[in-house]
Amino acid sequence: MKNKKTNRMLVILVGTVWVLLAISSWLSPSQEISASERRKLAGFPEITLKSLVTADFMESFEQYAKDQFPGRFLFRTMKAYVKFYPLGQKDNNGIYIQDGYAVKMEYPLNEASIQNAADKFRYLYEKYMEGKDVKTYLTVVPDKGYFLSQANGYPSMDYPKLFEMMKANTDFAKYIDLSDILEIEDYYKTDIHWKQEKIAKAADKIRGELGEEKERAGQYKTIEVETPFYGVYYGHSALPMKPDNLKYLTNDLIDACTVYNWETGKTTTVYDTQKLTGNDPYDVYLSGAAALLEITNPNVNNGKELVIFRDSFGSSLAPLLLDGYSKVTMVDIRYIASDLIGDYITFDDQDVLFVYSTSVLNSSAMFK
Amino acid sequence: MPLEKCAVQISILSYLNSDGMVFSSITFLYYFLPLVIGLYFVCPKKLKNGVLLFSSLIFYGWGEPKYIIFMVLSIVVNYILGLLIERHSGSAWGKRWLIVSVVFSLGMLGYFKYVDFFIENVNSLTGLSVPLLKVVLPIGISFYTFQILSYTIDVYRKSTKAQKNLLSLATYVAFFPQLIAGPIVRYTDIAKALDSREHSLMKIRIGIRRFLFGISKKVLIANSLGELCKIFADSQERNVLFYWLYAVAFTLQIYFDFSGYSDMAIGLGKVFGFDFQENFNYPFISQSITEFWRRWHMSLGTWFRDYLYIPLGGNRVGKMRWLFNIFLVWMLTGLWHGAAWNFVIWGMLFAVLLMIEKLWLGSFLKKMPKSISHLYVMLLVIISFVIFDAPDLSTSAERIRSMFGMSGLPFTGVQSVYYLRSYLIIFVLAIIGSTDLPKRIIGRIRKTPFGSIALTGAEPVVCVVLLLLTTAYLIDASFNPFLYFRF
Repeated sequence: MKNKKTNRMLVILVGTVWVLLAISSWLSPSQEISASERRKLAGFPEITLKSLVTADFMESFEQYAKDQFPGRFLFRTMKAYVKFYPLGQKDNNGIYIQDGYAVKMEYPLNEASIQNAADKFRYLYEKYMEGKDVKTYLTVVPDKGYFLSQANGYPSMDYPKLFEMMKANTDFAKYIDLSDILEIEDYYKTDIHWKQEKIAKAADKIRGELGEEKERAGQYKTIEVETPFYGVYYGHSALPMKPDNLKYLTNDLIDACTVYNWETGKTTTVYDTQKLTGNDPYDVYLSGAAALLEITNPNVNNGKELVIFRDSFGSSLAPLLLDGYSKVTMVDIRYIASDLIGDYITFDDQDVLFVYSTSVLNSSAMFK
Repeated sequence: MPLEKCAVQISILSYLNSDGMVFSSITFLYYFLPLVIGLYFVCPKKLKNGVLLFSSLIFYGWGEPKYIIFMVLSIVVNYILGLLIERHSGSAWGKRWLIVSVVFSLGMLGYFKYVDFFIENVNSLTGLSVPLLKVVLPIGISFYTFQILSYTIDVYRKSTKAQKNLLSLATYVAFFPQLIAGPIVRYTDIAKALDSREHSLMKIRIGIRRFLFGISKKVLIANSLGELCKIFADSQERNVLFYWLYAVAFTLQIYFDFSGYSDMAIGLGKVFGFDFQENFNYPFISQSITEFWRRWHMSLGTWFRDYLYIPLGGNRVGKMRWLFNIFLVWMLTGLWHGAAWNFVIWGMLFAVLLMIEKLWLGSFLKKMPKSISHLYVMLLVIISFVIFDAPDLSTSAERIRSMFGMSGLPFTGVQSVYYLRSYLIIFVLAIIGSTDLPKRIIGRIRKTPFGSIALTGAEPVVCVVLLLLTTAYLIDASFNPFLYFRF
C-alpha cells in the first residue's frame, strides 16, 4: 500500500513537471532575439522533403528547441549557479567573476595573431603612409584580464610579451602605453569595454602624445543613461549580476560634430541615443560597429585630420580626441578591406592612431 | 606512411559530431519522449509494439534517414533466415542458413565500419593508392548487428524459437532505448516480453528514476569532464599534471557517458515494460583486470564469451589454444570499438593483462592489500583509455610517457593548476559516484525507520531537481553527443 503511494507520488510529481515543461515548450510563442545573449534565436525550421531527407530539418530543430525553450535565461542562470557554487567551478562559458567583474578568459597568447596584426598595420603604413607627412601612433588597450587574471590564479595571456611584440613590430609608429594609467575600475563590470567617463586620463595622454597640450579631463558634461546597462558578459555568464551605469561625456564641441557613415550614407551625431534601447547600449558611441566613419568638427578650423584605425574601444575614445581636429576618420579593418581604404581616404598630412584592444589583437584573423 | 598514422578515424573523436537524436537533447526529452509515452499508453495492447517500432524508426532516422533502409533490410533478411534456420534445424541446411546470416550481418558491419580502414592499411603496406570509399557509419550498427546475430545463433542452438511475427522481431532490433548505444540485449532475454509484458506504476517509477539518474550522469558529469578533455586537447600548455587531469577525466567521462546511457536505456525499457540486463556494475572498484571486465560493458563481454570464446573452446582446450582464444576475443573486442589501430592495441593490451592474471598474477593479486590491487587496476585502466582516446599510436605513446614524466615536461602549469581547482569537486563527485559507496550509504539509511521515510519523500524531489538541472545544462550546452554513439 505504502509502495503504491510512493510510486504514484513520484510518477505524478515528476510526470506533471515533465509534461508541463513539454507543453509549454510546444505552445510558447517564438522569440526573435535573446537580449541577454545579443543574438537572433533560431526559428522553427522549414519543413520540406529535401530538409527531411538530408536531415537539415532535424539538425535545425534541436537548436530551435533549445533557443525557444520557455524560461531559457532562467535555466541558463540555474546552470551557471550550479557550476559556480555547489560544483565550485571557476568559470562558466569561459567567463569568470572576480571582485564583481565578469571577465572573459583570454589565453593563451596567440603569437601568430599578434604578428598578423602587426604585419597588417605595417602593410597599411607602407601602402598609404610611408613617405608622406603622416605621423603614426599605436596604443593597445588591455582587457580586464590584464588586471585580474594572473593575481587571482586564472589563466591569462602573456601581456608583457604582447606589448613587446606590438612595439617591436610596429617601429613606424610611436607607442603610447596606457597600461600604467588604466585600472580595473575603469571598465564596466558586466561588459568587455572601458567606461568613457573613466578614460579622459587615457585620452589626455594620447592627446599629449599627438601634440595637443591642453588637458580636457574634467571639462566634460557627464550624461548618465537611466536605463540599466547589461553588458555582453552578463548574458554570457548567465549570472544575475547587477547592471552597470552607462554614461557619456559631452560638451558643446562634441554636440556640434556630425558623423557620416560611408556604408549607410547616413549622418548622425557623435552619441546616437536611439541605440540605448537596442541590443547593445554601448552602441551609443558613434552608433556602434561601422567600417568607415567621418566625423566633421565645425568648431575647429585648423584643417588637422586624425585617422583612427580602431576596434570598439575606439568608439568611446574618439569623442574625447575631437577638439584638436577638423576631421576625424574612423576605420575598422574588421569590416573593410585594407586595400579599399585608399578609395576613401587620401593620406598626406594627417595624424594616424591605431587603437586596438588586446582581445582583438589576439584574434586578428578577422582583419581584412 | 607508418601504419598507425593511417588509421581511419572511425573512432571516438568522430562520434563527437554526430547529429542523430540522443536522449540528452531537448528534442528527445520534451518532444519525442512525451509524445511516444503518451501514444504508447493510450494505444490498446495489440498496437503497442507497432507504436514502439514506428517511434524507433523515427528516432533512428532523425539524424540519418537514409540508413533506416539498411537496418530494415537487416531485420527482414534475418527474420527470413531465422525461420529457415528453425525449419532446417538439425540438418546441414540449418547450419548453412546460419552461416548466411553471420556472413550477411558481419558483411554489412564490415563494409560500413572497416572497409576504409582495410583499404588504408592495404595502401600503406603495398604502396598502392586505392581510393577510400569514405563510407559513413550508420548509427548503432555495431549494437544491432550483435543483437541480430544473437537471435539467429540462438535459434540455431534451439535456445529460442524463431519469431514468427516480423513486427515483434523488428521491435526487438529497432527498439530505440537500446538501439544506438546498447546494452546489447539478447533476444532470449526479451522474447517473452515482446509478446506480453506487464506495465505497472512500480516499473514506471523505477524506470523514470533510472532514466533521470542516467541522464544526469551523462549531462552533469560526463559532459563536464568532456569539456575538460577538450580544453586539454585545444590547449598549448603541456605538463605532467595536465596529462593526468586529462587521462583521469577521460576515464571517468567514458564511464559516466556509457553507463549513463545504459541507465537511461534500462530505465526507458522499464517504462515500456521490458527488463534489460545490467551493463555496468561499478567497474572501478575492481581488484583485478579480470574482475574489471566482469563489471564493464557486461553485455558486450558476455556476448563475446557466449558467441565466440566458448564456441572456440574457451579454456577447455590446450594452453596455447586457450591463450589464442583469449587473444582473438580481445583483439576483436578492441576492433569492435573502432576501426583504428589504437582500438586493436587497446583490446590486445587487455588480452595480455588477462593472460598474465590467469597464468600468474591472479592468485598473487588476491593476497595483496585491496588498495594495492585497486591501484594496479586503475593505473592500467587509465592507461588503456589514454590509448583508446588517442588519434594514433604515437600520440598515445607520447601521452603515456608524459604522464610519467618521461618527456622532460614541467610538473605543473598555470592552466593545469587552474583546471584542477576548477574541476576538483566534479572529480571528487565522479570518483565517489563511480563506486558503490553511495549505494551502500543509501542502503544503510533506508534500513532506519526515519531514513526510509526521508528517502521516500526525497526521491521525487531529487528526480524533479535532476530533470530541471539536466534541462538547464542542455539548454546552455554545445558539447553533448554520446561517446558510444557509433560503436
